[in-house]
Amino acid sequence: MQRDLGSLPLAPALRARLVAAGFQTVQELLETGPCGLSKEIGISKEEALEALQVVRQECHGDAARTAGGSGATRKCTALELLEEEQAQGFIITFCSALDNILGGGVQLTKITEICGAPGVGKTQLCMQLAVDVQIPECFGGVAGEAVFIDTEGSFMVDRVVDIATACVQHCQLIAEAHQEEDNLKALETFSLESILSHIYYFRCRDYTELLAQVYLLPDFLSEHSKVRLVVVDGIAFPFRHDFEDLSLRTRLLNGLAQQLIIVANDHKSALQEGKEHSSTFRLGSAIGLAAESVPSLLP
Amino acid sequence: MAAKKLRRARLSQELCERLSRHQIITCQDFLCLSLLELMKVTGQSYHDVQKLLCKVSRACAPKMQTAYEMKLRKSVNPSSAFLSTTLHSLDKVLHGGVPCGSLTEITSPPGCGKTQFCIMVSVLATLPVSMGGLDGAVIYIDTESAFSAERLIEIAGNRFPTYFDSDEKLYCMTRSVHLYRELTCDSVLKRIMSLEEEIISKKVKLIIIDSVASVVRKEFDTQLQGNLAERSNFLARGASVLKYLAEEFSIPVILTNQITTSLSNGLVIQADLVSPADDLSLSEGASGSGKRESGCVTAALGNTWSHSVNTRLILQYHDLPTRQLLVAKSPVAPFSAFFYTIEKSGLVLQALLPLQLSGLVSSLQSLQPSNTE
Repeated sequence: MQRDLGSLPLAPALRARLVAAGFQTVQELLETGPCGLSKEIGISKEEALEALQVVRQECHGDAARTAGGSGATRKCTALELLEEEQAQGFIITFCSALDNILGGGVQLTKITEICGAPGVGKTQLCMQLAVDVQIPECFGGVAGEAVFIDTEGSFMVDRVVDIATACVQHCQLIAEAHQEEDNLKALETFSLESILSHIYYFRCRDYTELLAQVYLLPDFLSEHSKVRLVVVDGIAFPFRHDFEDLSLRTRLLNGLAQQLIIVANDHKSALQEGKEHSSTFRLGSAIGLAAESVPSLLP
Repeated sequence: MAAKKLRRARLSQELCERLSRHQIITCQDFLCLSLLELMKVTGQSYHDVQKLLCKVSRACAPKMQTAYEMKLRKSVNPSSAFLSTTLHSLDKVLHGGVPCGSLTEITSPPGCGKTQFCIMVSVLATLPVSMGGLDGAVIYIDTESAFSAERLIEIAGNRFPTYFDSDEKLYCMTRSVHLYRELTCDSVLKRIMSLEEEIISKKVKLIIIDSVASVVRKEFDTQLQGNLAERSNFLARGASVLKYLAEEFSIPVILTNQITTSLSNGLVIQADLVSPADDLSLSEGASGSGKRESGCVTAALGNTWSHSVNTRLILQYHDLPTRQLLVAKSPVAPFSAFFYTIEKSGLVLQALLPLQLSGLVSSLQSLQPSNTE
């Protein structure tokens, strides 16, 4: 392996020592062995062993990638991708006009952004989708759970109760009209209580809590594998005030977007961000850039 | 939560010392750095840094609750979810009254009855729970010196004559209304920050700020450079503290706002224009399509503020003495309008039929900003 040492995920101090001792490629490192390494650069044998294991893991990953096997990067043809996309479910909203515009509903593995002036209905739509993601498969839904990250405090449980009750009634009407076994069985578990207990709510009061929550999201999603929708209501809100350093803000927003993209792809869920409409020119351009940098993910 | 020191996030002592040498003391500083920067600063490997990130995140992240738990908590104490305004049609539309735990804004031209409404609601909050009140104290932050104790007693005596039958009861009620006169933005903000302890010690159940707009508009001239950002900063900070107080103690917070005229040239009209529901045109209907020479009247304080409040009620003149109350923004109520008059006992809803307003109305409500037309 002719890979350069600088590209390995080692601790900076260790890397500095290796460079000072004259090591350049991975090959040299692997040839030396833990005892020789510890003597040459002056670290303990355990640390040397750890470093070698990290290096070996990286190289193994590299080799697998070049051999064309399944590594960290997926490789597939456009046809496979098309089939995958078509087989994927959509989160239907029972509002046919909206579903038609979106091409079937809100797409999974994609980030959907909702912008609007205050009072226009962004939070309402987010709450509705948190309920609609739980619609059982026999009615056309994806039978998943929802994570609701709220930064503005506009989540009203009473309203969710209204929406959920209406949704259950709608499904009951469908079941009565069609009289199929599956429908009636699904309705037994699809009740107001079960809908509410599968909406996981986090209230983030500032951007630190939002960042922290998004870092912890992958772990949470692996514990709750049925989650199919993550809603972030008000992604711009905590960044709009008290931020002198605009470049830091852009960086944090971009970082958030990246994290969420990873979450969306790896866990096959849909992400939603309710973003408020910004009117002042300066703020608009700063946040607008962050949003524009992920154009490929907006359906 | 953001200012939580890393020591309390259970990081090792030496790591905390090492980080403090780079000026990274709180969780906020830690989470703002990228992975590479963290590696450089902590001197640890990529995977270890990720584990550290998870540890620190866990220390700051909010607790998870399901919507079901939230509902159960609300249903355990149903009377404490709203403050009834005793205006029955309004209460019905708002599913109970002024909601607890969120910010409610009353906007109107001068003289329509904002302060009257606030004084009336102060009386209601001190009533016992059996009468629809919250049985608690009221904090009234007055920036215009418009509060009148005599009016408070007059409303109490006329609205609930059977309850306030003795002087004793009236004095008891007035003792529970704590009035603070603040005349600058700074003092208002300081007062809001200090409210947490007051709420606990005085058993406060309602916070009223009358009015936010007057102090802000006095001090921040938005024509000057940089003032707009500063103003938004101040408002956002105030709003977030108030929201925290409202949610933490489950109490309603009522704020009053003024209106502003935005002229129809340049960007000014965009800055304050919020939504069709808030758009109150100066002249009778919009003449022509879009060409508004005289400008239009909207709620003041701009977009940031409009995002921060959860419920917005607009008061305006209809024809003397009747006035109109609009529910312009609410997470639970549709756009509705009611007529009322101001009498000895406070606001009284008229039995006139409420206007039939369709949700897609883009034509604007006719508004008379002053009653000397």
